[in-house]
Amino acid sequence: MATRTSPTPTPTLPAAVPAPLPPPPSDDACIRVRGVSRSFPGRGSDVLVLDGVDLTVPQGSFVTLFGPSGCGKTTLLRILAGLQTQDEGEVRLFGQTPGQAAKDKNIAWIPQSSALLPWAGARRNADLSRRVNRRAGRRDADRRAPGDPVAVLGEMGLAGSVDLLPHQLSGGMRQRVSLARGFVQSAPLMLMDEPFSALDELTREGLRYQLLDTWERHRRTVVFVTHSATEAVLLSDTVVVMSARPGRISTVIDVDLPRPRPAGIDASPEFHRTVARLRAAVDAGRTA
Amino acid sequence: MTTGIATASPSTSTDVPRPAPAAPRPRRRRRRWPRTVLPPLVTFALLAVLWEWVATVQASVLPRLPDVATALAEEPDLFLSNLGYTLGSAALGFVIGVSVALVLAVLVVHVPLLHAAIMPVAVLIHATPVLAIAPALIVAFGFGKLPHVLIVALITFFPMLINAIAGLRSVSTELLDVFRSMAAGRMEVFWQLRLPSSLPFLFAAGKTCATLAIIGAIVSEFTGSVEGIGAVIITSTKYLDLPQMWAAIFLSAFVSLLCLGAVGLAERLVVRWR
Repeated sequence: MATRTSPTPTPTLPAAVPAPLPPPPSDDACIRVRGVSRSFPGRGSDVLVLDGVDLTVPQGSFVTLFGPSGCGKTTLLRILAGLQTQDEGEVRLFGQTPGQAAKDKNIAWIPQSSALLPWAGARRNADLSRRVNRRAGRRDADRRAPGDPVAVLGEMGLAGSVDLLPHQLSGGMRQRVSLARGFVQSAPLMLMDEPFSALDELTREGLRYQLLDTWERHRRTVVFVTHSATEAVLLSDTVVVMSARPGRISTVIDVDLPRPRPAGIDASPEFHRTVARLRAAVDAGRTA
Repeated sequence: MTTGIATASPSTSTDVPRPAPAAPRPRRRRRRWPRTVLPPLVTFALLAVLWEWVATVQASVLPRLPDVATALAEEPDLFLSNLGYTLGSAALGFVIGVSVALVLAVLVVHVPLLHAAIMPVAVLIHATPVLAIAPALIVAFGFGKLPHVLIVALITFFPMLINAIAGLRSVSTELLDVFRSMAAGRMEVFWQLRLPSSLPFLFAAGKTCATLAIIGAIVSEFTGSVEGIGAVIITSTKYLDLPQMWAAIFLSAFVSLLCLGAVGLAERLVVRWR
C-alpha cells in the first residue's frame, strides 16, 4: 500500500484512443441489459425515464452510471437490483434475472444513506446477510460463504468500532459499515446508489480511496451511481454517460488509469483529461 | 487485520467516533441534582400550603392533609385490598386491549384492505365516552370483574393500535431496499426490521395506555361496583368522608405514576439505541 503515498507514476496514454474491444463475453460472465425501457406516470402523460437502454458489464469490472439528475441512472440500478421492474427489455446478471439473483443473494445493494439497523452494532450490521434469507445461505454454503464481518470492518479501518451502535459512529464510519455489509455478503455483483452523496467533501474523498482499496482486495463486479465526475473517473474502469428525458446511454468512456490507483492520482494530467472528456460528453448529451 | 488499520484512508484521523457520553455523567448528574429536584419540591410545598389554607377556611371543599394521612394509616387494609382489585382489572384489561391492538396492527400493516375495514370501528370505539358505556357493560356482564376489564381493554385499545400501525410502518425505505435486495422473507422483515423499528412507538403508546388503564378501571367502578378504589371514592363521597376520598384519589394518582414509571423503565432497558 506504499503506492498510496508515492507521487503518481501515471502512464500517459492518448485519451482519444479507445481501448480495444474485448471479445463479447458469454451471458454467464457479464451483466447484460437489452432494450430496457421504463416509464412512470406523470402529470397528464407518462414520463419515459429509461428508453431502450443497452449495456454490457464484464465480470470483475467497476462501472459507473453518470449523468444529470433525472437521467434514470438510479432507476436503471434499481432494475438491476430487482427493486423495480422494467416495462420492456431484458436484464441478465451472470445468466440470472434480477429476481433469481436476489433469491440467491447474488446482489449486494448499497443504498444512498448508510441504512444500518440502529439497534445493532457495527459487526451485526455488517453481518446482516447471514441472518436474512438463510435458505439461500444454506443452498450456496459450499460455493460462496459470507465474509468475516470483523475482518472486512478491519479492512475498512473500523477494527476498534465493531461493537459500537450506529448512533455512536460518525457519518463516514456508518457509510463504511454499509460498504462492509455489502462486501461481507460476498455477492458477485455490488450495486451502489450514490453511497457518498450525503457526506462532507473530506470524508467523501477518504471513503473513495477506502472503497478502491477494499475493491482491489475483493474484485467484485460493481455498478456505481454518482453525480460527481471526479468520483466516477477515480473509481471506474468504465463510465456510462446517460442523458436525460428520456434516459438513454449517450456515451461510454473507458478510463485508462492504472490499477491499483495510487493516492494523488486525481492530481495527474491524465486524470484531469478524463474528467474533462466526461464533462464534455455530458454536455454533448444535454444539447443533443 | 493490521493491514486494514495501517492502510486506513486519509480521513481516518479526523473520522473518530463521537465521544462516548458515558464517562463524565455521574459527576454532572450529582451537580444537577439540586436543580432538578428542588424546584418541583418547592412547587409541591407551595401547593400544600395553599391546600391547607383552603382546607382551614372552607372545610367542606378540601380535607386537611394530616387528616388524609390519618385516613390512610388507620385503614391500610381497606385501601390495599381495593387498590389490588382495581390494579387487577387494570392490568388484565391492559394486556387484553394492547394484545388485540398489536395483533390487529400487524394484520393491518400486512393486509392493506383490512385497514379500511377496521379503522372506522376502531375510531368509533375511541370516540365513545367510557362513562357512557360503563353502565351498559355492567348491565350486560353483571357486577363481577369482567365489565371493568372490558372497559380498560376498550380504552387502551385505540392508542396502542394507532401507534403500533405507525411504528410498524416507520421502517426506513432504504433498509427495506437492503432487505428486499437479499430476498428477505416476510417473517424476516417483520422480526428483524419492522418490530424493532416500532418499539419506540409501542413504548410511547404503552405509557399512554398505562395511565389510561388506571383511569378506565376507576371510572368503571363508579357505577354499581362495591370493590375497587373507584368504589371507595363513591362510598366516601356519599358519607362526605373527605379525608378517605382524597386518600383514595392520592393513592390512585401515585399508583398511576408507578405504572408510568414501570413502562418508562422497560423502555430504557429495551430501546437503547436512542
